[in-house]
Amino acid sequence: MDRLINSLRVRLIGVVLVIHAALVPLLYLGVSVIIQEGYAELFVNSVRSFSKLTADELEASGEREFEQRAAALLDGAMLTGQVVFSEITDGQHKVHSSLAIDAAPVPRADDFDFGDHGDQVYYITHRIKRGDRSIMLRLGFDEGPTLERIVGAKRRVLLAVLTFTFVSIAVSIWLSAVIARPMVRLQEAAKRVAGGDVHAHLEMNSSIREVQDLTHHLESMREKLVGANDRLASEIREREVSERKRLDLERQLLHRERIATIGTLAGGVAHEFNNILTPILLYSQVALDDTPPDSAVAKDLTRIVAAAHRARSLVARILTFSRQMDVPQTSVFPLRPTVEEALALLRAIVPANIDIVFDPSEDDSMISGDASLIHQVIINLCTNGYQSMRRTGGTLAVRLGVAENPTVPQLDPGKYAMLEVGDSGHGMDPAVMAHIFEPFFTTRGVGEGTGLGLSVVHGIVTSMGGSITVESTIGSGSTFRVYLPAATRTLLEGEPASG
Amino acid sequence: MERSAVLIMRRALLLLALLLGAPLGSAGSQSVVLVVRADSAVVDLDSVSVRKLFLGVPVLVNSSPLHPIRNRSDARLDQIFLQEIAAMSQSAYDRQILIGLNRHGWLRPEELDSSGRILDKLAMDPNAVTFMWQRDVARNPKIRVIRVLWTD
Repeated sequence: MDRLINSLRVRLIGVVLVIHAALVPLLYLGVSVIIQEGYAELFVNSVRSFSKLTADELEASGEREFEQRAAALLDGAMLTGQVVFSEITDGQHKVHSSLAIDAAPVPRADDFDFGDHGDQVYYITHRIKRGDRSIMLRLGFDEGPTLERIVGAKRRVLLAVLTFTFVSIAVSIWLSAVIARPMVRLQEAAKRVAGGDVHAHLEMNSSIREVQDLTHHLESMREKLVGANDRLASEIREREVSERKRLDLERQLLHRERIATIGTLAGGVAHEFNNILTPILLYSQVALDDTPPDSAVAKDLTRIVAAAHRARSLVARILTFSRQMDVPQTSVFPLRPTVEEALALLRAIVPANIDIVFDPSEDDSMISGDASLIHQVIINLCTNGYQSMRRTGGTLAVRLGVAENPTVPQLDPGKYAMLEVGDSGHGMDPAVMAHIFEPFFTTRGVGEGTGLGLSVVHGIVTSMGGSITVESTIGSGSTFRVYLPAATRTLLEGEPASG
Repeated sequence: MERSAVLIMRRALLLLALLLGAPLGSAGSQSVVLVVRADSAVVDLDSVSVRKLFLGVPVLVNSSPLHPIRNRSDARLDQIFLQEIAAMSQSAYDRQILIGLNRHGWLRPEELDSSGRILDKLAMDPNAVTFMWQRDVARNPKIRVIRVLWTD
């Protein structure tokens, strides 16, 4: 109910109704009074004038013909239709009109105001002087026709007032709808905006200035809201990207720290183990030299020496991962010949069911580092790739490229040489991908791998100021991308650079 | 003795009845009369002349214009004036007076709302003519009634 009362249309109509309720009765009463007084004025003027003229005529008439003249005047007055009673009294003698009078009037005082006196007759008495005596002229005028005219006029006024009222109410209903329509539309548009549709335009075609102003202001507010909303959304997106980058960096940092920790530990163990291996290998070799070659002891010593060499090779790889090897021979060299040389070696050992596709870059990038380490990186990545396709066969794709400001978190902006090694093997799931660069992590069976290949690659690449990424899809294969800082020709001319 | 006492009683009752009845009788037959100063030259005015006089039309008596005074001392007297003398409504009377004033240069009748002031005016002006309740002038030797205008 309150919602209905508080609506704009109902209030506008209510205002019109209240105004009409207050003014229409006053208007009707005022007009009725004017009508009443106007008709009363006309009636009183005419009857007073008529009766006075009659009295003057009687007073002016001669004595001889008075009786006859008086009767004629009374008859004439009665014949006007407005006079319903006429009488002349001369002492006890009374002269009436010869026309029949319906009923003897009840004797009562003269009337001075027009109105309903009960019998609807307006009486006027004139005292007429005739010589030394006075006679009385008494006339009664019918108020009925005038009263009927007044009633009729009031009815017409009432009809006009009611018509005016109904028309006004109809107009007010229409007008309230015209006024309220843009407001309702504005309200609906505002609801849409409030519901999240901030791009809903508040376009109102109203001729009312206040509504136009309101629409303009609301549209301005909406546009500001849209701007603020877009800015907010943009900031949220930027924050999300930034947060993702931060989490990625954090994860990679943790990963690097873990790898570094493992590397340090493995390096320490390998160093000590190398110290132990050295006398084993030395004394085994000395003992082997002192032992007849065909003896059973020589065979055993040979096996010890071979095992010590394998152990030493393993130690060397561990030290490579932990960067505790001998000082590398740093130089600036083109990447492509190194890759081609490594691929030539690989083609000899890769099974026939695996195709090696090489896509060299047109821009032959130069890098700075130890070419033998890069050689090892290529061999390890390709070995890892073809082993994943060993049973099913496939394609090993090697591609060189140049990356300007690559979107790799660890790398600073700049130009990088890119080495991409992709296979069409079985791929890896995210759990495996999270550990592939860790030493001794492998998915192969016992005796099939040491789990050091990719960790050595990681160690070499990071020691050269580069980075390695991997993408993999189960069933589709994996792609490794190595980014190495591009070197300038100046450094090439100045080689050998000190490492 | 008894006869004289009865006569005295009858006379006392008659006197009481007369005293009580006198005001009733006078209240029951009020009249409005046209009056002038007692020594005025105006002897009589017919109905038309009276009407002319109070509508502002100059009325001469012995070559002297009469001066009408409209008595507005009470509403009843005003109503009788409009009906018996002017023979029109108040608004029509006002309109007629204005027409006479503007079109013919007639004078507007003087209007006074106090009986005392009217009597003073009559006393000063021998050509003054006015109308009053008859009871107000009945025992005034300075006022003369020249015509009865209306009787209740």
